[in-house]
Amino acid sequence: MTNIIDPIAEIDEARVADQDVVIGKSRIIFRRFMRNRTAVAGLFIFLALFLFSIFGGFLTSWDKDTIDPLNIGMPPSPDHLLGTTQAGIDLLALIVDGTRTSILIGLIVGGLSVLISAVYGCTMAFFGGKVDATMLFILEALIMMPAILVVAVATSGGGGLKDLPSWLLLVVVLLFFSWMGTARLVRSLSMSLMQRDYVKAAKYMGVPSRRIVWRHLVPNIGSLLVLDFTRGITGAILAEVAFSFIGIGIKVPDVSLGVLIGQATGQVSSFPWMFWVPLTVMFLLTGSLAMMNDGLRDAFDPSSSSIGRAKTKTAKKVNK
Amino acid sequence: MSTNITPAERLRDAGLYAPGDAVLSVRDLNVRFNSENGVVHAVRGVDFDLMPGKTLGIVGESGSGKSVTSMAIMGLLPETADITGSVRFKGKELLGLSDKAMCKHRGNDIAMVFQDPLSSLTPVYTVGTQIIEALTVHNPTMSKQAKEARAVDLLRMVGIPSPKDRLKAFPHEFSGGMRQRVMIAIAIANDPRVLIADEPTTALDVTIQAQVLEVLHTAQEETGAAVVMITHDLGVVAGMADDIMVMYAGKPVETGTVEDIYYNPRMPYTLGLLGAVPRVDTATKQSLVPIEGTPPNLALPVTGCSFAARCPLVSDACLHGEPELFPVPGVAVPGVEGQALGHKAACIKANELSNDADAHRIFHAPPKPVSKFDGVARVERDKVLELKDVRKHFPLLKGALIKRRIGTVKAVDGLSFDIREGECVSIVGESGCGKTTTLLEIMEFHPDQVGEVIIGGVSNKVATDHKTKMAMRKEMQMVFQDPTGALDPRFTVYEVLAEPLENLGMPKAAIKKRIMELMKLVGLQPDHVNRFPNQFSGGQRQRIGIARALAVNPKLVVLDEPVSALDVSVQAGVINLLDKLRAELGLSYLMVAHDLSVVRHISDRVAVMYLGKIVETGDVDDVFDNPRHPYTRALLSAIPVPDPNLERTRERIILQGDLPSPLDAPKGCNFATRCPVFAALPAAKQEKCLTLEPPLASEKEGAQDFACFFPDGELDADMLVVHA
Repeated sequence: MTNIIDPIAEIDEARVADQDVVIGKSRIIFRRFMRNRTAVAGLFIFLALFLFSIFGGFLTSWDKDTIDPLNIGMPPSPDHLLGTTQAGIDLLALIVDGTRTSILIGLIVGGLSVLISAVYGCTMAFFGGKVDATMLFILEALIMMPAILVVAVATSGGGGLKDLPSWLLLVVVLLFFSWMGTARLVRSLSMSLMQRDYVKAAKYMGVPSRRIVWRHLVPNIGSLLVLDFTRGITGAILAEVAFSFIGIGIKVPDVSLGVLIGQATGQVSSFPWMFWVPLTVMFLLTGSLAMMNDGLRDAFDPSSSSIGRAKTKTAKKVNK
Repeated sequence: MSTNITPAERLRDAGLYAPGDAVLSVRDLNVRFNSENGVVHAVRGVDFDLMPGKTLGIVGESGSGKSVTSMAIMGLLPETADITGSVRFKGKELLGLSDKAMCKHRGNDIAMVFQDPLSSLTPVYTVGTQIIEALTVHNPTMSKQAKEARAVDLLRMVGIPSPKDRLKAFPHEFSGGMRQRVMIAIAIANDPRVLIADEPTTALDVTIQAQVLEVLHTAQEETGAAVVMITHDLGVVAGMADDIMVMYAGKPVETGTVEDIYYNPRMPYTLGLLGAVPRVDTATKQSLVPIEGTPPNLALPVTGCSFAARCPLVSDACLHGEPELFPVPGVAVPGVEGQALGHKAACIKANELSNDADAHRIFHAPPKPVSKFDGVARVERDKVLELKDVRKHFPLLKGALIKRRIGTVKAVDGLSFDIREGECVSIVGESGCGKTTTLLEIMEFHPDQVGEVIIGGVSNKVATDHKTKMAMRKEMQMVFQDPTGALDPRFTVYEVLAEPLENLGMPKAAIKKRIMELMKLVGLQPDHVNRFPNQFSGGQRQRIGIARALAVNPKLVVLDEPVSALDVSVQAGVINLLDKLRAELGLSYLMVAHDLSVVRHISDRVAVMYLGKIVETGDVDDVFDNPRHPYTRALLSAIPVPDPNLERTRERIILQGDLPSPLDAPKGCNFATRCPVFAALPAAKQEKCLTLEPPLASEKEGAQDFACFFPDGELDADMLVVHA
């Protein structure tokens, strides 16, 4: 496949692209994404939060396990940029840690669930018949299962999973319940791809089915998977926040945004910074992903109208 | 009108409207779109006047800006487009009107018929509701009864049987042709003065196309509307239009009356287009006129003549400045009664092209290739494919939980034919006649089929192991209709062509060598192998598809509508290539096509199918020159010919109705329900058609086989139409 892409050919490719009509697909997607201001802003916010969650610890000399007995439940001050909790722990240190946990859960669950759904969905569509029916039944059964109960049981030590850290446990459980919708989507998409002429052509050439799936189906559902990745991250973060909020998700000593929000709800009026800061970070996180998702959809969807305008402002005036 | 006047003067002239003047004047219309490659100048200065009651045909290939022009007139282009110039309806400027103001004109003064009848009607409302909606919008005071009566009238006018009951029917209960009739009914509901038809018959079968063109003709007569007919098919407009405007690269390149354009073309592009269309009514076995190259990229400014890059007569002068539309000397003065457009051509060499210019000579059409099999008698050649009594019946089921069989669709019903070395056999017929199912039965051969498919001497009954199957597959490859859909968008050309070879286990070096051979064989540049399919034009993609089919050196290539998705000028090049390959490589073709002109040009033998059965088969010239089965006669008469005089005088058989539903399939002859001969027969003879199935047999040795009891019977007068 790649053996023929020698440097000369690549230069040739670039020359053609510069000339006029021919533009590489990745470049079109990139350009379309960049044209969507909101999406670019979203990307920057997300990257900033990501860096903050890794290097944010350097902004404060405190860590999340140290109690400052002189500052208990204090509002933001030069010592503690975001204030302290009623236990005297620096809120900035907690937020950095919580954001990291949330992003970690989001990325792992988002990424792995896309992978699982792609494999599961393609397998269903490819084999069809009885295999398809059985796998579809399992999938439907999982959709019916009450996720919240399973999470509650698993994280409170049921099923002998006590030794795992609570965030990893939550990742496993969230993963278990997050892939079904996409798998169904992938299944129907691959089924329609199987009807395409180029798949038929490969079949009539006698190419083995397994190779058809790998070479023709998987690459062509790629754009859906990219979209679903960002959507999956948002979903996982929100689920983590929700579960932790009601007290069945992340357990102390682990910290996450959901835990912080949950702990602070009781004292919104007395310690407002403890509630609003983690909430804002969560909104920035999910909001930036949602903004990016819109831009990605525009970039991948060939029928979207994100090709800019031909009408100039002056032309508009003449017409009016 | 002289061409030297400035745009400002042209704009002013169009503003002065008097009765009897053009109903629609378009002046200096320019449309620009934004695209990934920058601003595309899609329409570049279109001028025309549409006289009341006249028909203007706008002819051009895809991307020539003909549809964009019509959308600009209707005010239907997206907000992002930049439109300048002037469009005046009875002297009133339409450009720049708000959407709301435009709604007063749309559907009332100017109405439109779209290309795809399947998607232009809302599926959730009845046909009646949709017609009445069109009436209500522009006539809010009309009473409910009056609107209903008018809707029934309209449906009757466009030839829908029992219109009163059909008013309550939903779009899915109508066939494609019927839906297009409903669209025409909606378009003429408010007696528009201008009717714009954008490729109204492109999505339809030839027999239905003939019906719909007839309806458009009636609609124009009834309402007296002026019609703008947009099409890529030079045949369709030949019989209908009064004036023609040929568009190329967003600009009109030749305008004039039909006779001017068809008999006296002065622009090389028009000349090439006319030569690129095969004719269904003549047996000339000459190559088609290929127009090499592709239209210019309109994102870049056009400096010379837009056609210069493809023109065989090009000289240095053509590259300096784009030529305006010059009046062609020696022709009637422009502005004479009944002539909206004088004959004008945008070519500095218009005068050098005389009346008897030969497109074949000018465009260097290649000589007709000769195959080594041409001299060998047909019976002495080997059979590459043989079908024996192949049947494919689909059960028609009803019920949700317990499925009941309520009927059988006989998609293919006892098909037998063979293909010899070096010949091209075509299957023709309307959609739904079983052409595609036949191809699928051949391509997806397996031992459990009903009937026998013998490929290269090996029967499907013995194809039980992988090795035999692979050997049979290698004998036979397929080229698909849609060149874009047939190539994986994520594969480079190299990967596309390597796939069948890798599958055979060829070593890498040999694959590389073979691919270079293939690229040269189909006329592509070998250094383009690293490009992706979307970097090629439609014609080049089809060439890649052909190259892939030829990669494993098959004996038989199955062609499923190989050129129907291509533009006329490109189509000629691909047909010539197929002709050449057949001669050089000794290939056999099995082709399915709905375009009978292409079939006549390329095939040696033809089989006409109707409802899963072959009704007539034989040598292409026998069948086309002397059709015996009434269905073949109807099919051939439905093809419009690019010759205005012939088109206006010839007799046409307009078949009534559509293909019968498989649920009430006729008992005797399948075709009896629509047969023009049957309708004219006395009742005693009709009995025979209704009870017995006519066998497929020939009348005398060597002539074609056909399945009809009364091949030379009188035709029913109601189904014959002549335009005076």
